[in-house]
Amino acid sequence: MNDDYLWDKTGEPDPEVQKLEEILGTLRYQPAPLEIPEDLQLPRRRNYFPWLAIAASVLLAILIGGLWLSMRSRREPTPIEAKLTAPAPAKEVTPTSSVTPEHKLPELKPEPREEVVVVHKHRPRSSAPLLSKSEREEALMAKEQMMLALRLTTEKLSLVHKKTQNPANQIKNQHRVG
Amino acid sequence: MKSLIKTTLIALLLVAASALAANAQDSRIQMSSLDHLAAKASQTVDVNIDERLMKMAVRLLSDKDEDERDVKKLVAGLKGIYVKSFEFETDGQFVVADLEPIRTQLRGAGWTRMVNVTSKKEGNLEVYLQFAGETVNGLAVLVTDDKELTVVNIVGPVDLDKLAQLEGQLGVPELGIESSKTKKKNEEQ
Repeated sequence: MNDDYLWDKTGEPDPEVQKLEEILGTLRYQPAPLEIPEDLQLPRRRNYFPWLAIAASVLLAILIGGLWLSMRSRREPTPIEAKLTAPAPAKEVTPTSSVTPEHKLPELKPEPREEVVVVHKHRPRSSAPLLSKSEREEALMAKEQMMLALRLTTEKLSLVHKKTQNPANQIKNQHRVG
Repeated sequence: MKSLIKTTLIALLLVAASALAANAQDSRIQMSSLDHLAAKASQTVDVNIDERLMKMAVRLLSDKDEDERDVKKLVAGLKGIYVKSFEFETDGQFVVADLEPIRTQLRGAGWTRMVNVTSKKEGNLEVYLQFAGETVNGLAVLVTDDKELTVVNIVGPVDLDKLAQLEGQLGVPELGIESSKTKKKNEEQ
C-alpha cells in the first residue's frame, strides 16, 4: 500500500482514511469574523487620575491654609496686660515702750492705690515687606544718592531761576529744538 | 515656507521689542563720555539711580516726615536719576567738545530746550524737557562754568508742580518755579 496519500494526498486514497476525513472535516478551521456575544460584559478600566488630582489639590490647599494660619497666629500675639500697682503703705509701728513721745507723729493715711494698666496691643505691620540687611544697606545708599541728586537738581534749577530773573542775562531761546 | 514665516515673525517681534526698549529709555542720556574728566576734577559727584534702586530708596522714605513725604510723591513715578558733576581747581579743564555727545542726544526727538542762559562771567545754564504728549517725560539740566560741569538727567514723568514744592526743603532756597497751571490760577486770583 502506498502511504503517499496520508503524506501529501497523492496516490491511491485509503477508503478508511477518506471516511475519517469526512467525519473530521466538519471540524476543520473555517475563516469567519469573530462573534462577540451580546451579553458579554467587558470589565471597564477605571481612570483614577482626576480623583487623585483633586485629592492632591485639596491636601495642598489644607497644608497652605494651615501654614498661613500658624504664621498668622505667630504674628498676632495676644495682648499682654501689665499691671503696675503702687507699693502698699508701711504698717503702723506701735510703740513698745510706755514712754509717750512728745511730738506725735502725724497719722499715716494710706494713699489711694494707683493702678496703671499698660496694655500692649499688636500694631499692624507696615505694608512694605521687610528688607534684608544687604538690601537695606543698598536702599539706604540709594536714598542718600537720590537726596543728593535732588538737592543738586533743585540747586541748579534755583540758579537757573535766579539768572532768568536777572535782566542782564540773555535768554537765548525758549523754543523747541528737537 | 512655514519656517520663513516663523523667522519673519520672530524678527518682527525682536524689532518691536527693541523699539519698545529704546522708547522706554528715550529720556535717559548717556553720560559716559564725561567719565574721563573725573581724573582732572577736584570734586566729582556721580549719581546713578535706576528704577530698581529708586523703588528701594522710596521704601525707606517715611510718610511721617513732611519733607520725605513730598520727595516720595515726587519720585513715585520716576525711572531714574543720573547726575555727573565735576568741579575743577583751574580753568579750561574741559572743552565744548566734551559736551557734544550729550548735546547731540538732547537735540533728538522729544527734547525741548526750555531755558538757555549764557553768561561770560557765570557760565551757561540749559534746561531741557522731554515731552510725551502733554506730560513731561524727562528733564535734563546742563551747567557749565569755568571750573564746573554738571549734567542732571531725570528719567520718567517729572511733575514740575511737585518739584516746585521741594523749594526750601532739602536745604535748598526757594526756587520760585511756577508751572503754567499754577501761574494761570495765580493770575486769575
